[in-house]
Amino acid sequence: MNTITARASATAVTVGVAANALRRLASTRLTLLVIALLALGVMLYDPSAGRGAWLLVAPLTLAALNLLGAILSNGVLRRNAALLMFHFALLAIVVLVAAGRLTYLKGQLELAEGETFSGQLTKMESGPWHRSRLEQAAFRNDGYRIRYAKGVKRAETRNAVQWLDDSGQSQHAVIGDHTPLTRLGYHFYTSFNKGFAPVFVWQGRGAAPQRGSINLPSYPIHEYGQALTWTLPGTQTPVWTMLQFDEVLLDPLRPSELRVPKRHSLVLRLAGERHELTPGMQLALPEGVLTYERLTLWMGYTVFYDWTLPWLAAACFFAVAALAWYFWRKFAAQPWDA
Amino acid sequence: MMSTAMATELQLLWAAVAIYTLAGSTAIGATVMARRVERWVLALVVAGLVVHAASLALRWERVGHGPFITLFEILSSNVWSLSLVFSIAYWRVPAIRPSAAVVMPVLFVLMGWMLVSSPGEGHFPPTYRTVWLYIHVLFGKIFLGSVLVAVGLAGIILLRRAGFAMRHTARMPDSVKLENLAFRFMILGFVFETLMLIAGAIWAQDAWGRYWAWDPLETWAFLTWIMLAFFVHARVTLRLRPHHGALFIIAVFVLAFLTFFGVPFVSTAPHKGAV
Ligand code: HEM
Repeated sequence: MNTITARASATAVTVGVAANALRRLASTRLTLLVIALLALGVMLYDPSAGRGAWLLVAPLTLAALNLLGAILSNGVLRRNAALLMFHFALLAIVVLVAAGRLTYLKGQLELAEGETFSGQLTKMESGPWHRSRLEQAAFRNDGYRIRYAKGVKRAETRNAVQWLDDSGQSQHAVIGDHTPLTRLGYHFYTSFNKGFAPVFVWQGRGAAPQRGSINLPSYPIHEYGQALTWTLPGTQTPVWTMLQFDEVLLDPLRPSELRVPKRHSLVLRLAGERHELTPGMQLALPEGVLTYERLTLWMGYTVFYDWTLPWLAAACFFAVAALAWYFWRKFAAQPWDA
Repeated sequence: MMSTAMATELQLLWAAVAIYTLAGSTAIGATVMARRVERWVLALVVAGLVVHAASLALRWERVGHGPFITLFEILSSNVWSLSLVFSIAYWRVPAIRPSAAVVMPVLFVLMGWMLVSSPGEGHFPPTYRTVWLYIHVLFGKIFLGSVLVAVGLAGIILLRRAGFAMRHTARMPDSVKLENLAFRFMILGFVFETLMLIAGAIWAQDAWGRYWAWDPLETWAFLTWIMLAFFVHARVTLRLRPHHGALFIIAVFVLAFLTFFGVPFVSTAPHKGAV
C-alpha cells in the first residue's frame, strides 16, 4: 500500500467516523431523551437555593448539539423549509439564552431624593463575561409619587429622573411600573422597595462638612421598625436612629399617597445618650457637629442588563411563525372534518 | 351586605350555569341515545354564553377590572372561554360532537368549583395595567380550549379501547382518524401556548425587569410546553398508537389544568404580579 492510498483510506475512515458521530448526534431518539432530561432538569432546578444551573445547562447543551446535528443531516428537516427554520430558531434561542446568561447583570440600588447613581449596587449578580459600564449610566432620582388604593394596595409609581446625555444635555423622564429608564443597555426599574431617608450634614473636627442620607428600612413593609444603626463618617461611633411620627400616612380606609409626614422627629442614641431631633437641629459631639436637615424618601431600583433581549424576542416570533406555517400547510392538505 | 349589582351578576351566573348544564346534559344524552339534538345543544350553549357574558361584563364594570385575579374570576372566565372554544369546534367540526359526553363533565367540574369559591374581589396590581395581560390571557385561553377539544376526542379513543361507548360513538371516525384530529387541536394549542409564554415573558420583562424567573407558574407552564414537544416528537419517532396519543393528551391537559387553576392559588410564592 503506498502512502497516498493509505492517506486516502485514513481520510475515508475519519469521514466515516465523523458521519457516524453526526448521525448519532442527530438521532431523533436522542431528541426524546434530551426533551425528557430537560423536563427533569426543570423540575429539579431550584434557583432560590442558588444551585443546580447545570441541571438546565447540561440538557440544553445536548439539545443544541442534537439540533445542530439534525439541521445538518436530517432529511425530513432539510427538505422542509418551515420545519427547518423552526428548529433553527430553537437553536438560536438556546444559543442566545446562553450568551445572555454569560453577559447579563441584575442588581439592586437605592437612591434618596436628589441623589445621583454612582455605579454602586447594594446587591448584584452577573454573568462571568459582563463588562460593567454602570458608572457611565449615572442618573438622578428627582423624587417620586406612589398612590395607594383603599386597603393600602400600591397603585401607580411615578418617579422623576434626570441624566446627562452624550452631548452633555440634561434629559428628564418619568419612570415606574412598566416604564424603566434605559441607559447604555441597562434598564432601571422602580421597585416596591422604598422608604424614608433622613438627610444629615456632618462636620468632623477640622474637616469639610459633608451631606448624606441614611435609608431607613423599607416602608410600609417595616412600618413598625423604622430604625437603623449607622456610623458617623471618619469615626467609630455608632448612631442608632429611629423615625417617629403619629400621622396615619397610608390609610387602609381610603386612597392615599406616600409622602413625608407633616410632623416628625428622629430619636438618636449614641454614646449611651438619647437625643430627639427635628429638622434644623444640631448635635454637638466631641468628634464634630451633626445637623439633621430634613426628611426625604428613597427609592429602591432593580437594574437589568441583557443585550440579547430583542434578538431573543425576534427568534421567538420567528419560531412561532415557522411552526404555524409548517402545520398550516400540513393540515390544509386535508379537511378538518375528515 | 351584598350590593344589588353583585346580586344581579351572581343571578346571571347561576342562570348561565343552569343553561350550560342543560346543554351539557342534552349533549351527553345525544351521545348516549345517539339522537340528533345537536342544534339544540348549540343553541343552548350559545344562550349560556350570552347570559354568562352579561354576568362577566357586569362584574368587570363593578370591580373595574377584568376576571383575572381571584380563583372565582379565573374559573368563571375559563368556563366561558372553554365553552366558547368547544362550541365553535362543535359547530364547525361535526365529527367531534359525541365527544361532548367527555368534555361536558370537565366543564361541570369547573362550574361546580366556581360556584363554591368565594366571589369576593381581589386587588388589581399596577403591573397588570398593560395590554400584554390581555394578549397573554387570550392566548392562554385559546391554548386550554384547544387542548380541551382534544381531550374530548382522546376520551372517546380511550373509552372505545376499554370497550365502552362503541355503539354510541359509531358515527365518529375510527380511532386513528380521531387521534389525527385530536393532534390538530393539540398543535393549535401548542402554537397558542408558545405565544402565551412569549407574551408572558415580554410582560414580565416590562413589569418586573426579568423575562423569566422560574416562579412556580412559569415553571409549570414551561413543563407543559416541554411535554407537548415530547408528544410531537414521540408521535413521529415512536409511531405512537392512538391510545398512547390519547393518554399524552390527557396528561398534557391535567398538567395545564393544574397550572391554570392550582399553582397560582397554592404556591407560597405566587406569580409575581398577583401580590
Ligand atoms: C432538541 C432537539 C430537537 C431535534 C434534534 C429535533 C429534530 C426534529 C426532527 C428531525 C423532526 C422531523 C421528524 C420526522 O418527521 O421524522 C422534528 C419534527 C418536529 N419537531 Fe423537533 N427537534 C428538536 C426539538 C424540538 C422541540 C423542542 C420542539 C418543540 C417545541 C420541536 C418541535 C417539532 C415539531 C412540531 C415537529 C413536527 C412534527 C410533526 O410533523 O408532526 N422539536 N424535529
